[in-house]
Amino acid sequence: MASTETVLDKEDLRATVAQVVEVDVDEIHDDTSLVDDLGVDSLMALEVVVVLEKKYGVRMTESELKQVTSLQRAYDLLAAKLRTP
Amino acid sequence: MPTVVSPVRAPVHVLAEAVADPTTGAAPRSVTSLVLETQEPVFRGHYPGFPIFPGVCLIECVHRSCLTTAPGTPRAVLTLAAVESTRFLGAVFPGDRIVIESTWTAISDGWRVTARIRGDRGDVAAVRLRYHTGEAG
Amino acid sequence: MTSTWTVAHRLPHRYPMLLVDRVVTAVPGSEIVALKAVTTNEPWYAEVSGDARDGDLAYPAVLLMESWAQSAGILAASRSSDGDPLSGDVMLFGGATEVRFLHPVLPGDVLEHRVRVVRLLSDTMIFEGECLVAGRPVMTVERMVMAFRPAQTLRPAPSTTSDSGSPAGTQED
Repeated sequence: MASTETVLDKEDLRATVAQVVEVDVDEIHDDTSLVDDLGVDSLMALEVVVVLEKKYGVRMTESELKQVTSLQRAYDLLAAKLRTP
Repeated sequence: MPTVVSPVRAPVHVLAEAVADPTTGAAPRSVTSLVLETQEPVFRGHYPGFPIFPGVCLIECVHRSCLTTAPGTPRAVLTLAAVESTRFLGAVFPGDRIVIESTWTAISDGWRVTARIRGDRGDVAAVRLRYHTGEAG
Repeated sequence: MTSTWTVAHRLPHRYPMLLVDRVVTAVPGSEIVALKAVTTNEPWYAEVSGDARDGDLAYPAVLLMESWAQSAGILAASRSSDGDPLSGDVMLFGGATEVRFLHPVLPGDVLEHRVRVVRLLSDTMIFEGECLVAGRPVMTVERMVMAFRPAQTLRPAPSTTSDSGSPAGTQED
């Protein structure tokens, strides 16, 4: 299994999200809405979360996946997951 | 001479060649269009009774457009190295006309092409391809 | 060894776009190995002239992708029991990331598609994997997304530009 990131760094997270969504990293502020502000469609929003799951070696339920609508939400959910493996 | 072996029969109409703009230094941008008639062979099996143009054939339309409008004199010989990313945003049906705007960015041993495809009813796909110049590896 | 019947039963695709010949092994919801033989008898080779050089006979890269995607589609279809691929849901190619073409594929080659599920959700699946010829990778796929969408959501709205009422080719079934 590829080594997974256990340290949660928000800037690193921002860069990963920007890469998947294919926008400039400075377009993604903490509370930028992926769908409303960046026009990300449901498939791409899902891909963002799946990439994060793989990168941080965590598993989210389908409902948790659908809550990740911004960088801050992704950060909070990952932080929670990483605290309670 | 368009590639002979292709799942898409429609000819590529060149609306603008990929020419770098020396004044602005903007990346070369080419524009092409294709009309996907009902007789396109892929529609028969994709799907019977529900013809919808396959996503990969949209990528092929971008690929054929790139081969036809590649920059350079003589025109660069391009080998498709990768589909870097592709997003399908809307469906294409028999009889639709698509317009492809491609932006060319030089990379180490070839080109990266970022293309946007629009159809009769709005955006259809976003495709980014990577090409090596020269024969296949 | 699963028969071709199962392939055609699992997928709505038909000639000339049914690009999987045989499923070798499949673990539903997890992974699949499937085969497709490349032949000059496919319609894309119809116009090839006698003096075409080998390089001109390379199988279209996008069809390698499609053939691999259909193997993934069989894996996805194995999740819905009713088996009729067009019963309400259509499987759509949502997107792909970093699909690399390593070597040209020529007629006579047999494609061995290896597909693994990255994530399985109610209406969307994400896959990764590679395609081998004689054990050598010819294509690798970092990520491919497939979505299940109700067929009727795809019916085209009557396009304002064309004068005919309903666009050609769509049957109201």
